[in-house]
Amino acid sequence: MLDVKDLTIEFHDHLAPETVVFDFCLHMEPGEIVGLVGESGSGKSMTALAIAGLLARHDMEKRGEILFEGKDLLSCDRQQLRALQGSRIAMIFQEPMTSLNPVCRVGWQVEEALRIHCPQMTKQERRQRAMQALADADLKDTQRVYDSYPHQLSGGMRQRVMIAAAMVCEPKLLIADEPTTALDVTIQAQIVELLKRINQEKKTAILFISHDLSLVRQLCRRVIVMQGGYIVESGTVDDVFYRPKKAYTQKLVGAIPECVRQGTKGNTGKLVLSVENVHMGFVQKRRSLFEKKRRIEAVRDVSLSVREGEAVGLVGESGCGKSTLSKVILGLEKPEQGKVVHYSEHPQMVFQDPYGSLNPAYKIGRILEEPLRIQGGFPAAERRRQAQEMLVRVGLDEKIADRYPYQLSGGQRQRVCIGAALMLKPKLLIADEAVSALDVTIQAQILELLRRLKEEMGLAILFISHDMRVVYQMSDRVVIMKDGQFVESGDTDTVYFAPQHPYTEQLLLAAGIRT
Amino acid sequence: MMGKKSSTNFKVGAILTGIVLVCMAVGFFWTPYDPEAMNSARKLAGVSLAHPMGCDNFGRDILSRVLKGGGTTLLVALGTVAIGACCGIVAGAFTGYYGGIVDEVFMRINDALFAFPSILLGLVFVSLLGSGKYNVVVALGIAFIPSFARIVRSEFIRCKNMDYVKSAKLAGAGDLRIMFVHILPNVMTTLSSSVMIGFNNAVLAEAGMSYLGIGVQPPDASLGRMLSEAQTYLFSAPGYAMFPGAVLILTVLGFSLLAEGIKERRQGS
Amino acid sequence: MKYFAKKLAGLVATLLAVSFLVFAAFAVIPGDPATAMLGTEATPARVEELRARLGLNDPLIVRYARWAADFVRGDFGTSYRYNMTVKSMIWDKIPITLTLAGMSFVLIVLISVPVGILCAWHAQSRLDRTVMVVNQIIMAVPAFFSGILITLVFGLVFHFFTPGDYVSYHTSWSGFLGYLFFPAVAIALPKAAMAAKLLRTSVIAEKKLDYVRTAYSRGNRTKAVLYRHVLKNALIPVVTFLGMALADMVAGSIVIEQVFNIPGIGRILLTSISNRDYPVVQAVIVCIAFLVIFINFLVDMLYRWIDPRIALE
Repeated sequence: MLDVKDLTIEFHDHLAPETVVFDFCLHMEPGEIVGLVGESGSGKSMTALAIAGLLARHDMEKRGEILFEGKDLLSCDRQQLRALQGSRIAMIFQEPMTSLNPVCRVGWQVEEALRIHCPQMTKQERRQRAMQALADADLKDTQRVYDSYPHQLSGGMRQRVMIAAAMVCEPKLLIADEPTTALDVTIQAQIVELLKRINQEKKTAILFISHDLSLVRQLCRRVIVMQGGYIVESGTVDDVFYRPKKAYTQKLVGAIPECVRQGTKGNTGKLVLSVENVHMGFVQKRRSLFEKKRRIEAVRDVSLSVREGEAVGLVGESGCGKSTLSKVILGLEKPEQGKVVHYSEHPQMVFQDPYGSLNPAYKIGRILEEPLRIQGGFPAAERRRQAQEMLVRVGLDEKIADRYPYQLSGGQRQRVCIGAALMLKPKLLIADEAVSALDVTIQAQILELLRRLKEEMGLAILFISHDMRVVYQMSDRVVIMKDGQFVESGDTDTVYFAPQHPYTEQLLLAAGIRT
Repeated sequence: MMGKKSSTNFKVGAILTGIVLVCMAVGFFWTPYDPEAMNSARKLAGVSLAHPMGCDNFGRDILSRVLKGGGTTLLVALGTVAIGACCGIVAGAFTGYYGGIVDEVFMRINDALFAFPSILLGLVFVSLLGSGKYNVVVALGIAFIPSFARIVRSEFIRCKNMDYVKSAKLAGAGDLRIMFVHILPNVMTTLSSSVMIGFNNAVLAEAGMSYLGIGVQPPDASLGRMLSEAQTYLFSAPGYAMFPGAVLILTVLGFSLLAEGIKERRQGS
Repeated sequence: MKYFAKKLAGLVATLLAVSFLVFAAFAVIPGDPATAMLGTEATPARVEELRARLGLNDPLIVRYARWAADFVRGDFGTSYRYNMTVKSMIWDKIPITLTLAGMSFVLIVLISVPVGILCAWHAQSRLDRTVMVVNQIIMAVPAFFSGILITLVFGLVFHFFTPGDYVSYHTSWSGFLGYLFFPAVAIALPKAAMAAKLLRTSVIAEKKLDYVRTAYSRGNRTKAVLYRHVLKNALIPVVTFLGMALADMVAGSIVIEQVFNIPGIGRILLTSISNRDYPVVQAVIVCIAFLVIFINFLVDMLYRWIDPRIALE
């Protein structure tokens, strides 16, 4: 059905032409699901856009053939291409919020493909089809969804709306570009289930693009691995994942945090943090004069202790209260009830977004020195020496001290963040989703760095994440949080291999650790 | 493509602004003739080598008056922006960073002041304080505070929740240090282009007020004032209006191109 | 509906705040109105008597309440300078200024929207670059100077209109509107240039967003993407700008009235300022402020209609 031969994409907007995709080949049968895997910058999204006919910039050149049902999409004119888009080939994207038009109603957007491709349909018929499509995407209360605007829906619902809008004309090929990356794990699992069902019921072929290897493993039978614009390896999921031939694939597969029983070691270090029965709630801002104020209980009666040299994992999905808890622990917000006791000075934090946590106005050296300046009592030469030592310690070149944050890569920035947090030699470090924004291979390196620092400095780490696999790699003990409460806690192996709470089980299933 | 365009904007803007500033600086110390010396024999004289821009209805040399008057206009604009930006930064920083009831009240007042276009607010203050160079600076300066405060406030609100601010807090930085060492440098980039735009608005507001006869008072020269005097002789001596007008336009154009160029450069990096 | 109620409450609050600020500002100025009214006949005893009669000895807030109540009833006070009510002085001038501002607003929209869309659509083409250079220059020309240029070119050279020969709307509406056309152009030009540039930037920025890609992926024509998807989003910042511009235009007409010799509100304001006729100044300023605030209110309503996300904030 789809046959891509030697697709090469070149950009001409720089002085020298830059090739982003080299000789890409792909063959897809009707009703097949193929995974396309690679890290950021591997050219996978470019390839997907080219197949969907959405790469039409005048400063780029595409060579090769994209045969869809016998027709070459690269030599088609715009009109022929348009006739296929939305009716035979549909696409869904990573960010459902920005991919939907914010000022148009959901129903109108779902019906759009029908208005374009089936102009003979009456208004009622279109509406019926759109409702059906919404229902098929497992949306409840379709009437309300139909009439609402995108911002009134949750992230998962928005992606379902995207899927409904893509499927409304029953296309033969659905291209899904990182469709679950922006979503919570349990929602992720539901979307993957939905795609699987659509594939089985409607016989729609799916090209599934993702950086998440475990998702691809769950959904696809065949997989293509890309790096730097080239296809590194392709084959069945089992071959690629369990018998990788190329070094890069091996590295990529090796970077997936595996969950193999590690044995528990008791920790008898000194206590660095104890949280006792902390309770925290917010009064939601009123949206109008007449609305009743609503209280949201963000953290309910939570207790936790962390010892020296110990890493405690805190797992939860967005909105479970983990960020509020971390703020309370750091003293950025006062708890309403209960107390937080620190047994050491200057607990520090590493944040998710390495772009936002480094002050863009200053050079790296100045950022590292800042905590010492605030504390005072360090002469300039001493500050500089300590900053350079720290750069080496977190695995960076000393020369980086003279650069600005925007000149560094994501991984380098996160190393700087860790370094800046450690300048005051804290005993407790809170890492809030510290590796979530990074590519898998970089993720593995940062985790390695954190483990090393933990050993070297006797650091206690509270590791907050939504990613079950990463947490397993990092932690000695785990706490699972849902709706402001701890639903389960214990040492890592026990929680992962003998979960007591159904929610833990659900998370493990979604992460593909239990099957 | 973008790079080429941005440098054109920047270059043209810098050259225009440079020429205007140098001329005004020269005019501050030296003018070809005494800008106030009248000579009835040269009344409304046309363009000549001796008087490159001609003479006005009192026979005064227009070039000298443009140099002097342009300088006054620029100084008034500079003072206006200085008052507006300084007060605006302090007000915006504190209300934006702390929020709460003070912010609420301040924003109400700000909204109320914002309801007055700056020239109208200038008129109100001048009618209260009386006209004259310094009163115009104070009047326009106060009139410009709300717009600067608004920009700084919203930038502070955006920045105060950034992770680097939290990091600084955790390292033990006090509120003042966070506001003025950590946040302010990041606000500066946005602020610098609004300062330039504000400068332009101040030039235009001063010219408008002087044109209306309630700004800079005679015998002080000012571009706006010259334009209003020239209007009567528009048909007989068009140069009288055109030269001051052209200088006004070039000044404003230079600054806006420069602001544009700086903005594009920043986006480029 | 709740949004409407909230905005309405805000409107009333701002109106009160503005009128109080203006009132207080005029209450603290040096110079006693009683002395001013009596002129040369001012003796301490007579001044005191007049002060008591005018209620000038009451606390500020009481005087404000009395003034506000009178204002709402349509009694704007009496001029110090002329022995007539402020209302009779300004009432029939208001339509002139409003028509001028309204006409220039219509011109702004008529000029800026097509130009902005055209340039955004052909961004970086020769047409776009030329228009943008011209645009940049127009933006730098203050309205009163373009007014002077228009007077020179269309009035004195081509005789399309006679400068200074204002036609009242009592005499002839068509003559009135005809005379106001050129002043309206002068006010509209710089604002239209700004609005066109803003719309162009906004459309170009919106064109890069994800939802546009989604629209293309459904097989939309380029034009449909522009008019059905991009434009509605791109207009949001332009509406904000136009709201502020409308307020500016009311103020801008003060200057332009002077250029074209139109006896509108601005004229009264200027004469009253130089005469130190404070009741008139105060009334005019409060009227203009009310007008501006009311326009902002309308813009907020329009905003709500264009951008459904507003209600959440």
